[in-house]
Amino acid sequence: QPQNEHIELHRRRYGYRLDHHERRRKKEGREAHERSRRAKKMIGLKAKLYHKQRHAEKIQMKKTLKMHEKRNTKEKNDEKTPKGAVPAYLLDREGQSRAKVLSNMIKQKRKEKAGKWEVPVPKVRAQGETEVLKVIRTGKRKKKAWKRMVTKVCFVGDGFTRKPPKYERFIRPMGLRFKKAHVTHPELKATFCLPILGVKKNPSSPLYTTLGVITKGTVIEVNVSELGLVTQGGKVIWGKYAQVTNNPENDGCINAVLLV
Amino acid sequence: PWLQDFIDLTLSKTQRKTPTVIHKHYQIHRIRHFYMRKVKYTQQNYHDRLTQILTDFPKLDDIHPFYADLMNVLYDKDHYKLALGQINIAKNLIDNVAKDYVRLMKYGDSLYRCKQLKRAALGRMCTIIKRQKQSLEYLEQVRQHLSRLPTIDPNTRTLLLCGYPNVGKSSFINKVTRADVEVQPYAFTTKSLFVGHMDYKYLRWQVVDTPGILDHPLEDRNTIEMQAITALAHLRAAVLYVMDVSEQCGHSLEEQVELFRNIKPLFANKPLIIVANKCDVKRIAELPEESQKIFETFEAEGFSVIETSTLTEEGVIQVKTEACDRLLAHRVDTKMKGNKVNDVLNRLHLAMPNRRDNKERLPFIPEGAVARKKRMEVSTPRRKLERDLELEMGDDYILDLQKYWDLMNSSEKYDKIPEIWEGHNILDYIDPDIMRKLEELEKEEELREAAGEYDSEPESEDEEMMEIRRLAQQIREKKKLKILQSKEKDTRGPRMPRTAKKVERKVLEKEMTDLGLDMTNKDDAHYVRRSRSVTRKRKRDESETPKSAARSRSSSRTPRDVSGLRDEKMVKKVKVMAKKAQKKMNRLGKKGESDRHIFNLKPKHLLAGKRKSGKTQRR
Repeated sequence: QPQNEHIELHRRRYGYRLDHHERRRKKEGREAHERSRRAKKMIGLKAKLYHKQRHAEKIQMKKTLKMHEKRNTKEKNDEKTPKGAVPAYLLDREGQSRAKVLSNMIKQKRKEKAGKWEVPVPKVRAQGETEVLKVIRTGKRKKKAWKRMVTKVCFVGDGFTRKPPKYERFIRPMGLRFKKAHVTHPELKATFCLPILGVKKNPSSPLYTTLGVITKGTVIEVNVSELGLVTQGGKVIWGKYAQVTNNPENDGCINAVLLV
Repeated sequence: PWLQDFIDLTLSKTQRKTPTVIHKHYQIHRIRHFYMRKVKYTQQNYHDRLTQILTDFPKLDDIHPFYADLMNVLYDKDHYKLALGQINIAKNLIDNVAKDYVRLMKYGDSLYRCKQLKRAALGRMCTIIKRQKQSLEYLEQVRQHLSRLPTIDPNTRTLLLCGYPNVGKSSFINKVTRADVEVQPYAFTTKSLFVGHMDYKYLRWQVVDTPGILDHPLEDRNTIEMQAITALAHLRAAVLYVMDVSEQCGHSLEEQVELFRNIKPLFANKPLIIVANKCDVKRIAELPEESQKIFETFEAEGFSVIETSTLTEEGVIQVKTEACDRLLAHRVDTKMKGNKVNDVLNRLHLAMPNRRDNKERLPFIPEGAVARKKRMEVSTPRRKLERDLELEMGDDYILDLQKYWDLMNSSEKYDKIPEIWEGHNILDYIDPDIMRKLEELEKEEELREAAGEYDSEPESEDEEMMEIRRLAQQIREKKKLKILQSKEKDTRGPRMPRTAKKVERKVLEKEMTDLGLDMTNKDDAHYVRRSRSVTRKRKRDESETPKSAARSRSSSRTPRDVSGLRDEKMVKKVKVMAKKAQKKMNRLGKKGESDRHIFNLKPKHLLAGKRKSGKTQRR
């Protein structure tokens, strides 16, 4: 029975085939032709994927080649010219830069007046009722249409109990209730899976805020005790705001960015 | 690369095996079902693959402890279990992901939303697999190594070889079995267990070769030595402790004895034999006194010491027989002590025939058998055969059969034998009865001939053969004639080709009649020159011209369907061929060769279903 390293043993004892090395060399030489033939013959989705991968490979190859070329040539070094050095014919023009500074200051003052916060997702598409709430027909002849079902991801608190089904107007299905969100810390660039404490504000409508509907741009409060943040006074921070950055109903998860 | 292929394969399989066409305007439950199916299909695939991996790898708890220990030594039990555990976790995670997303998809109310959910689900599953890269690579390596391990049956009769490196264990196993283990002058040539098989007393025996063991405590041992220790610990085998008497392995005799003492606990309950190898270099008797005493102590303790040399093969067979016998006895002993024996013993019964009278009846052994047995025991030297002589003389050997001849005058053995002597042929006088034998033979031949044994059968040839023979005879005669004729021809200078000459009608007719063709019908012949009056007369008659013209043409030329054909047989064949060519056209209802009308411009089998890689022409 062939045991352990029988292949290497055979090679050591009897050597290679007489034409082994030649065949190997020729096979490697044919590689380029094989690759091009394959690239030409492939069709369909496989071809698209293959061409994309090949394109990436070629870009890498070109980059390395260029790097090797660069080593040997001399290049213009831009760093040697100091900043602020201005060519002779521009020496008189000073006023412009100051003007820019001024306009920037005016812009900032305007912003402060409006009281806008800096949030990662400043503008969000408003979502109408027909999009968020779906009409449920009830009644013996299904004519009554006063019930609504939420079609977006929502958050209900821990102590949540439904109203008696006959009287509840808004249905929040269990399948769409989420308790955890994937929160990214903008400076640390790390993502944590933190439990949600509540929905602070939904930009589309205050109704959604009370219902707990989470859409893109909603500000939620998350439990950050996992991060171990401490205030200057020495108290442990355990709740922070985060803004949702994706469409949870399309992705099946809530991705948010912590607001520091 | 293997991991990437795994993911690519599963995804492309999903894309190929599930329906791909979906539109926005379909009913929502149909859209949902479509995407849910894709998610479930991918999940199923991953699940199946991972379960297959998990089941194919042996569970360390379920296999024989020898193999479990060996795998621990080679692959590190913890790492192995961890890797498999990771795969298991990945499998469960994938199942959960699929479940969640299928649940979410029930609330999807648009194609876009369902599609995004499916995309998220598949992406999640692929990331889970990507994270298992390390485990999968490790398991792949384990698998490859595991497939090359030798199959050692822990329960059957085994001989185990152990000792220092380079003492000659591998050469021993090479001599005794058909295994081809590498033998090299450096230490640790054998790096893992090797197994070979041999036969003794009509039974199959395993011989296991181990890598050499050095003398240090158990904790310091490396993987290679641990394999040997594992084999020693778990296999119930006869142990052959191989020692190098000539100290060529690089370790002195005392060191080897030290090692023996250290691993003695592993030899408990195993028949042990000490093999003193390389005795062709140095025998025990040549050793100094102290070393000889060591061997004497061994003998005293009850371990037999046998000198061997794998080079000259002395003692190898002795070791083999001794070890096998002792192991067999040991095994029988253990079996007798066990419980299962009673089941067997109860069923065995040796029947002795009852004595019917007082007469002694001894077993009958023929004399020849007794004599042969005696001879085998005594082993009388047999006579020197030619073969032995050949082996001795080597290249100088010449086959000389004449030395065995029995002549009156033995000095004449090598004389040349003449062929003719005093006018007589010597071969005629070989046998004194040669004339008588010749007469007998001739008589026999006559009898046979009279009986007709040598006659060729006249009825074996049928008419066809006769015809062919006749034709052949004709051809031969004709050929001879032609040769004579051409020889008689008086040709000078260049000759005109045969086709340039005009053929006279008479010559043509004569030749054709000779060949057997019927040339009497002169009217139908195409070469007949019509007399002028006949043609002129035909032209004047207007009303008759069509008919007569047709007739004249038909009478001057052969009809088209038989022109160019030699005989009836050919005419028939041609007719059949024509009919066959028309069959296809007739079946398809075509008017003729040029009719290319297509009755069904949009056949269903070409235009319905998925279009796959441009195969709409035939499918």
